[in-house]
Amino acid sequence: MDCRAFDEQLVRRDPKVADLMDRFVCVRLVQANAMDLTLFRFDYDLTFAAFFLNADRTIYGRYGSRSDRKDATKDMSMEGFRAALESALDLHREYPSNKALLAGKQGKPPRFKVPEEFPSLAGKYKPTLDYEGKVVQSCMHCHQLHEAERRFFRDDRKPIPDEVLYPWPMPNTVGLKFDPREKATVAEVVSGSAAGLAGFKAGDVIQTMQGQTILSIADVQWVLHNAGQPAAVKAQALRGGLKLDLTLNLGAGWRRQSDIGWRATTWDLRRMAAGGLVLDELTAEERTSAKLSDTSLALRVKHVGQYGEHAAAKRAGFKEDDILVAVAGDSSRMTENELLARLVQTRMPGVKIAVTVLRGSDRLALELPMQ
Amino acid sequence: MAQLTSCLAASLVVAVVSASAAEDRRERVLKDRQEVEAAGQWIYNDLPKGFAEAARTRKPMLVVFRCIP
Repeated sequence: MDCRAFDEQLVRRDPKVADLMDRFVCVRLVQANAMDLTLFRFDYDLTFAAFFLNADRTIYGRYGSRSDRKDATKDMSMEGFRAALESALDLHREYPSNKALLAGKQGKPPRFKVPEEFPSLAGKYKPTLDYEGKVVQSCMHCHQLHEAERRFFRDDRKPIPDEVLYPWPMPNTVGLKFDPREKATVAEVVSGSAAGLAGFKAGDVIQTMQGQTILSIADVQWVLHNAGQPAAVKAQALRGGLKLDLTLNLGAGWRRQSDIGWRATTWDLRRMAAGGLVLDELTAEERTSAKLSDTSLALRVKHVGQYGEHAAAKRAGFKEDDILVAVAGDSSRMTENELLARLVQTRMPGVKIAVTVLRGSDRLALELPMQ
Repeated sequence: MAQLTSCLAASLVVAVVSASAAEDRRERVLKDRQEVEAAGQWIYNDLPKGFAEAARTRKPMLVVFRCIP
């Protein structure tokens, strides 16, 4: 299911959630222009995200998660949304006696209070949409916020930090898979992962993390998003009626397990670090036929950008189906995500890096410009 | 000359496709507002009104962010 279908079900008050939605004041926002970033922090690569709030701006919870490029709602369901609505109503009923459980949902003050304060977005948008004129062009997309966060560092010639490069880690980053039809029920635990070592088991119902009430997978992501490297994330779970205290011990660089390939903003990372190339790892069979080992770099150029800064690699001589086998002297195996991340953290705009490509039977030396 | 002509033709195709996509999106954006407002169950693109209504009714708020593709 795509986001549009899920969203339409909500707009039309799907019978699965209509009775609960009637108990909320429902607000629909279709723009990022002038968004209050002191309140609304969510995964800006999403095209659908929901908040449950009190009128005094206290956040009860968040809803909306994504981990797949094609299936935008793999991690969402009407049943899961209903469970989150029920919990938000419970929190509202008990409010303000439960205020301490909700304090962590607000987060630290952000660097900028509205998107328009980001240098790369300044002066480009007005606070409201121009419905009478060019409404499409007047609308700032949420994903532009994530791009602006990255550009804040990149344009200042600083490495993009892990928390900006790998935002809103999905629970599978730490070895947890949740059932999207439930509020926060563990469906699977990867053996040997941080969650496995912490003692999580399938069927556990997560009640709190870092002292915050958990209403959804998005709430788990919020806690992970704010966790350091390394970090000890405390959780309370229900197992067979018993309450358990568990600790997720996350090591240095744990975020780098997070898949960023589905994100719309990865397109801009490709502009920065790959001159607009889209890269794909060779399969085992393709490696064999290209005489490349399992441990060596083998990224095929799937697409060459054609316009503006996305055509930098094209202008440097790269072609579709070239196979990258060494980048900046490194020929060790890595995915496109790993390569992009490494380059935006170590190579600043303006420099050119040496790349060796296989083109048919030829081995060519090219230079890839960083932007 | 032939190269210039093909370049101009390619630019024209891109411009036409972009204009068409923008027009589609414009329709979707306008239709979204029209349909959601007509249904009368959502406060549309007006957060202060939502806060005021929640304070008045003592109800919690459900705020949905939707990027219309």
